[in-house]
Amino acid sequence: MDSLVVEHLGKCYVIRRGAEKKQTSTFRDRLRISPGDGDNRGAQEFWALREVSFRVQPGTILGIIGANGAGKTTLLKILARVIAPTTGRVVGVGRVVSLLELGAGFDPDLPAYDNILMNAAMLGVPKHEALKRIDDILSFAEAEQFGATPLKHYSSGMYLRMAFSVAINMNPDILLADEILAVGDQAFQERCLQRVEQEGRNGLTVLFVSHDMDAIMRVCNRVIWINAGQVMRMGEPEEIVDEYQNAVWAQADASRDERGRRANRFAEVISVRLASSAGRDIGGAPISDDVYVRVRLNALKRRLKIKCALDLNTRGHLLFRSTDPATHQLGEPGVYEILAKIPANLLAEANYSVTVSCIITWKDEPQEYPLVVYNALTFIAYATEEPLTVPGRMQKTGLIAPRLDWTVRQEEASAARA
Amino acid sequence: MLLALRRLFGLADTAAAEEAADRDWRARKWVIEPTRQAFRARVEEVWRYRRILWFLARQRVRDRYEGMTLGPFWLLARPLMPILIGTLVFGGLLGVASDRVPYFLFFLTGTSCWRIFERSLLWVTRGLENVRALVKKVYFPRIIAPMAAVSPALTEFIVLLILLVLASIFYWFKDGVMYLQFGPRMLAAVGAILLTVFFAISVGLFTSVLQVRHRDVRYSMRYVNQFWMYATPVIYPMSQIPPKYHFLMYLNPMAPLVETYKWGMLGIGSFPVMPFVSAVIVMTIVFVAGLVFFNRYEAASVDKL
Repeated sequence: MDSLVVEHLGKCYVIRRGAEKKQTSTFRDRLRISPGDGDNRGAQEFWALREVSFRVQPGTILGIIGANGAGKTTLLKILARVIAPTTGRVVGVGRVVSLLELGAGFDPDLPAYDNILMNAAMLGVPKHEALKRIDDILSFAEAEQFGATPLKHYSSGMYLRMAFSVAINMNPDILLADEILAVGDQAFQERCLQRVEQEGRNGLTVLFVSHDMDAIMRVCNRVIWINAGQVMRMGEPEEIVDEYQNAVWAQADASRDERGRRANRFAEVISVRLASSAGRDIGGAPISDDVYVRVRLNALKRRLKIKCALDLNTRGHLLFRSTDPATHQLGEPGVYEILAKIPANLLAEANYSVTVSCIITWKDEPQEYPLVVYNALTFIAYATEEPLTVPGRMQKTGLIAPRLDWTVRQEEASAARA
Repeated sequence: MLLALRRLFGLADTAAAEEAADRDWRARKWVIEPTRQAFRARVEEVWRYRRILWFLARQRVRDRYEGMTLGPFWLLARPLMPILIGTLVFGGLLGVASDRVPYFLFFLTGTSCWRIFERSLLWVTRGLENVRALVKKVYFPRIIAPMAAVSPALTEFIVLLILLVLASIFYWFKDGVMYLQFGPRMLAAVGAILLTVFFAISVGLFTSVLQVRHRDVRYSMRYVNQFWMYATPVIYPMSQIPPKYHFLMYLNPMAPLVETYKWGMLGIGSFPVMPFVSAVIVMTIVFVAGLVFFNRYEAASVDKL
């Protein structure tokens, strides 16, 4: 049975624009209490979530990713019942514990002990059960000797540890966690993740919102990507995170495009393509073959000197920058082809994006005229033969997968002994 | 009685019973929909979360007096000053009748009953607003917040009660008469107080939601309450009103409650049976309507917090 079923969930906010409100609102308008009845002049609908549907099996650690303002937190808040949805419904089983903000239900004036009981009351946990867990909570929070200290005297780190510890020890069936790892030191983050993983194996369902893709890929076994209030994709963490990051990367590049220059008064980049060794344009790169990044450049002046570089990016990381060691002297104006070979058996199965830059000098002037095409090309590298996979996650293959030279031989000394 | 109270707040449940209830609760499906689920399920939910009431109530009282150097002094001075002035003006200068009871005692009794209503209502109105930070981050049945907000009014009432006992002891020595009527009648007074708080919460179910949207609600309520007090036999006894106008007075549900309280505590006036019954009916209607209203608009209002 699913532990959580979300169907056609939507949340609409009505935004009233200030200026128009003044002109059109009557006293009755102001007393109107629910959005949606009466006329809506000057009101604008904003759908923070729209038609969101998904199912979660018990034991799933579902990562929720998306840009800021995509609706991730709204989704969690609806699931936590803090806000009511406008459309759709959610059916779930078991106790829901939400960590929308670490320590939200805490009263800083009360000692840890009382706060634990208060939180238990807020989660509907029976008092006896809470009392049984107090020692566990204090020890996970590393605050055994501070049970009677008011929380306001806690360090912020202790406070956060306490908050997480209370939530995870309340024996939830569903845990909603919003950016819980954005805070706290590395060691504690690590312990939180471990605990989440462990509870996941015991059947705890976790919905985990984070911008930390490494953490998402590490603990989640499913990922849902939300964009502008709608579910873009849902599936395997590596796949979705890859796609998400490439989309973000492409978007960042698009906005950076003004800074990148495709053309100046000396030359112009016509195209950047991926080509096979046979010279054909290809869409994806077979890992076991050499592939070429082919740049076509239109030289507008005579006697240009050109030096090129290529950046390979994946998952938001600059993998490497490779610069042509030589500077090339061009002759007459016209179209030139620049080829950069990416050797076989270097790339992993992933999505890559290429940024091309060319430094152009004219005659013997010291002035350099750069051309930069950000994100000029994106492609997928794929394996043609079934690779020898280590059981486990695909991301464990890494960002590149160069073929190394391996030898196995017996040492001479030991051969002699035998 | 004490055990029943403890059980009410979940302090005396047996572990086994609690665990069984918890298992049962956890195995059950829950549904989140735009309009909230069945009424009965919500009542059960409030019951399950009832222990928050205590924590929130304590928080409100502490918020009220914390950081004040003279905390206990204010606890006493705040209600006492208006009573002293009222006694001087109404009892002394204007010579308002008080049914053969010293005016100070008469006024103190009436005021304590009225004040628990007025203060409760004001606090309940702010009940949602005051827990804004909590309500936006943590879920619990919201109705608990306004209910818990009566706590500062209750503390004030207890202070007034102590004051009343002290004052009557003073008059006992002075006049040789114990004005306080200890006896089964006092149960009627207790009932009147419970109903008063109940009524304040009922009205507060409306005002607390409205207050979130319109901050003038609480402001205007202070204003309305002044008139309401004069329409209620607090500073004067019912015996001063011509009997043919009694029915008009008793349209106000607070009037029979204050009358009953004074009758129970001081043995003056009479127990207004019919008005009392009608008040209970009115209060029940207000309460049910309040629940419906709260249910309907609570979620939309929390969006605005």
